Amino acid sequence: MSTEEKKRSINRLKSMYPLRALMDKNYKAAQDAKKEGKPVAWCMQESYASPFLNAIDLDSVYPENYGTLCAATGAATPFLERSEAEGFPSHLCGYAQNCLGYTAQMADLDWEIPPGSPQGGIPKPVILVGSGMGCDARFKWFQALGRYMDVPLWVIEFPTAFGKENLMEGAHERSIQFLIKELKGFAAFLEKLTGRKMDWAKLREDVDNTMSMDAVWWEINELRVARPGPMHSRDFWSSMSASLFRTTDPEGVTELYRSMLEEVKHRVKNKISAINVEEKYRMTFIGLPPWHALKFFDQLAERGWNFVTEWAYHPPRPIDLTGIEDPVERLVRYRHQGTGHLIDVSFSPEEAAKIKKEMGQQDSMSQLVLKPILDFKIDGGFLHPLLTCRTATASLNLLGESMIKKFHVPFISIEGDIVDTRLFDPVDALRKAEAFEETMDHYKEIRKEAGLEW
Amino acid sequence: METQTTQGLARVKEICQDRPRRAMELRDQGKKVMGYLCIYPVVEIMTALDLVPYRIFGDMRETVTKADKYLPSVVCPFLRSLLDLGLKGKYDFLDGVTFAHTCDVGAQFAGNWKINIRTPFSHFVDIPHTTHEGARDYHKGLLMDYKKAMESYFGITISSERLKKAIEMHNQQRSLVRDLYDLKKPDPPLISGAETLQVLVAIMSLPVEEGNTLLMAVIEEVKDRKDGPVKKSSRLLVWGSIIDDPALLEMIESFDANVVMDDTCVGSRAFFTDVALTEDPLDGLADHYLVDIKCPRTYQESAHGEMKIDYMADLRNRFDYLGDYVRDYKVDGVILQALRYCDAHGYEVPGIKDYLESLGLQSIYIEHNYTEAAFGPLRTRVQGFLEIID
Ligand code: SF4
Ligand code: SF4
Repeated sequence: MSTEEKKRSINRLKSMYPLRALMDKNYKAAQDAKKEGKPVAWCMQESYASPFLNAIDLDSVYPENYGTLCAATGAATPFLERSEAEGFPSHLCGYAQNCLGYTAQMADLDWEIPPGSPQGGIPKPVILVGSGMGCDARFKWFQALGRYMDVPLWVIEFPTAFGKENLMEGAHERSIQFLIKELKGFAAFLEKLTGRKMDWAKLREDVDNTMSMDAVWWEINELRVARPGPMHSRDFWSSMSASLFRTTDPEGVTELYRSMLEEVKHRVKNKISAINVEEKYRMTFIGLPPWHALKFFDQLAERGWNFVTEWAYHPPRPIDLTGIEDPVERLVRYRHQGTGHLIDVSFSPEEAAKIKKEMGQQDSMSQLVLKPILDFKIDGGFLHPLLTCRTATASLNLLGESMIKKFHVPFISIEGDIVDTRLFDPVDALRKAEAFEETMDHYKEIRKEAGLEW
Repeated sequence: METQTTQGLARVKEICQDRPRRAMELRDQGKKVMGYLCIYPVVEIMTALDLVPYRIFGDMRETVTKADKYLPSVVCPFLRSLLDLGLKGKYDFLDGVTFAHTCDVGAQFAGNWKINIRTPFSHFVDIPHTTHEGARDYHKGLLMDYKKAMESYFGITISSERLKKAIEMHNQQRSLVRDLYDLKKPDPPLISGAETLQVLVAIMSLPVEEGNTLLMAVIEEVKDRKDGPVKKSSRLLVWGSIIDDPALLEMIESFDANVVMDDTCVGSRAFFTDVALTEDPLDGLADHYLVDIKCPRTYQESAHGEMKIDYMADLRNRFDYLGDYVRDYKVDGVILQALRYCDAHGYEVPGIKDYLESLGLQSIYIEHNYTEAAFGPLRTRVQGFLEIID
């Protein structure tokens, strides 16, 4: 081990670096394709649009992701200012404001990329694909772009799949059939728009490749329950984009995930920790991470905080879809597994029946949502409320309070934002974190008294 | 026995001063009260079960103290206020509560309420975001589930006839509300914006027949009144997110302006189209709630499957109903207002402004945080706006 590595508080996975490099290469390839004038679609990170776009030979560009990049490189400010000058309220999603301002500038420049845009900018798309998943911004923002572009918008629906209502007889299957119909409508629209035919075999291949790739990625994350935690959230965040965004080389990514799996297995077997000091606190990160301030987690690692899991960006559970041949149906059944199924596969039959009964009578924060607290033996939650993203913020406190109530696991809440990087104050956050250690110690005692294992 | 001694507008005031009172009286007489959030839960199903549909509102005069623990300050202040009242036990008289996927935070709020307030019955109705054909069918299925859950909990089966009857009663209410709004067409209008809001708040606290009787009495009274609003220089339309307290409209009307029309969700939005009486009543209901109600929470597309977007055509498709209001109510200025952190309404602002401008109308956008204190700085802006349009 070099001195350089010894100094680091987080013991980064070696297998993460080539994975990240491959993703950067993919990004570059997409940039080159754009430069060559290949038509692109702007879409949301929601997993349905991209396989279809790929199957009709359109490149996917993610303005949400581009927002992260603009924020991290300090390029977002003029775009945000422009959005506000156009009359959009400043509390709207930071990524949306960034994109609205960027597009307004592009329109002024007759669709040239605004000078100074990071990574060569994102070109005018031929289609916008909005999503009903997660937040209202994902379709409202794209509709608002109609002010600048004559580009068509298709909104892909996403039925809400939580709560006791989803357990009603036939409810989940209905939402599956609805999604299949929606996506077939989307495919027909793409064919009309491009004048090309969908390559269904390519879609099937893409779906299957994604499922195999995700399965390895899923397994890696399952291993993180080990003590000490073998993989830090920083490695998770560096590696997740391979599964989250369409890659041009899924087999290559799967291979790299496999070597990551081996490395993590090795760490688990040899009790190698993700941090280079004793693991004092096993943490979960709840919310969207402060991308521009990830070094902050190194300081926490020095204090023995090991971020062993996080609540966003995980792949769907592997599922057996033998017998389902239609690629659209395969994709839907993979991505939209439903509360009932997830309870069934996460608990024993007796427990599952009990949980479903309780949910039916009085919708409680289901054990399903809080299961990771128990599985990972979490000592504390790190909540990250964001000024301009309500979706990732509105339920944070409820989750935190439920953690305390059910498992005597406390949380700390540190405010930030997705584009306004000034809102995250690492000095103040560290001060709060230090004080929070006492709280975590206190709750450890309470858990012991309550007969909990950790 | 109803303890009603007043009629018409006086009765409206009485109800607004103590909204739960009548619901509790009815409860004492054996009725069940169903709270609901926003305009998407299907009140017709509640009425068909002989429940009292009771719209849950916040209280902008009460400081949020308990909800902070669950809903951070960067989410819709109306929802925060609502949860706060719930946590303080002010909605303990409800037998059930129905939520809908109005907006993303509204959906998350439902979880918060279910877990923390624990009203005996609760149901969340998901609502699609698009009006594609598949979305309509899907929505109908969701309404079927809602009806089933209600029937099973309350132990009554709703026949098709019964549901149709309920639709008729609510359509009558919609028609009466439109009659009331007709009285805002003359100059000066016969009823102010703030008074209109109170009438609607009152009927959203009563069983439908009682609400209809009240509306008829109000209409009769207003038609002949001599003490209505005075003629003023501007006739305004107020658009935007929820207003459930007359204070904002009173502030606007304290200037040289009458609010003669609105497009808000306690105002005209829920009442200006009827539910079609279809053979299967759920078809009419599914279409009405998903397609007919023009709330920014739904993606109203210009033309499904269009290859190019014509911005102005898109705006006309989405907002022409506002153009009708402008013409019919002789509106000469528009106040666009939204609660801070309301994304659904926030994204619409530049588009609506463009549309209104195409009609030659000036507008102003104001944002507030659901407290009376927030209106102070807004006074100057509203006043400035009125000077411009005058
Ligand atoms: S989830 Fe949050 S960050 Fe992502 S698009 Fe929606 S509002 Fe923006
Ligand atoms: S005011 Fe806006 S954010 Fe609040 S509940 Fe209504 S639509 Fe949702």
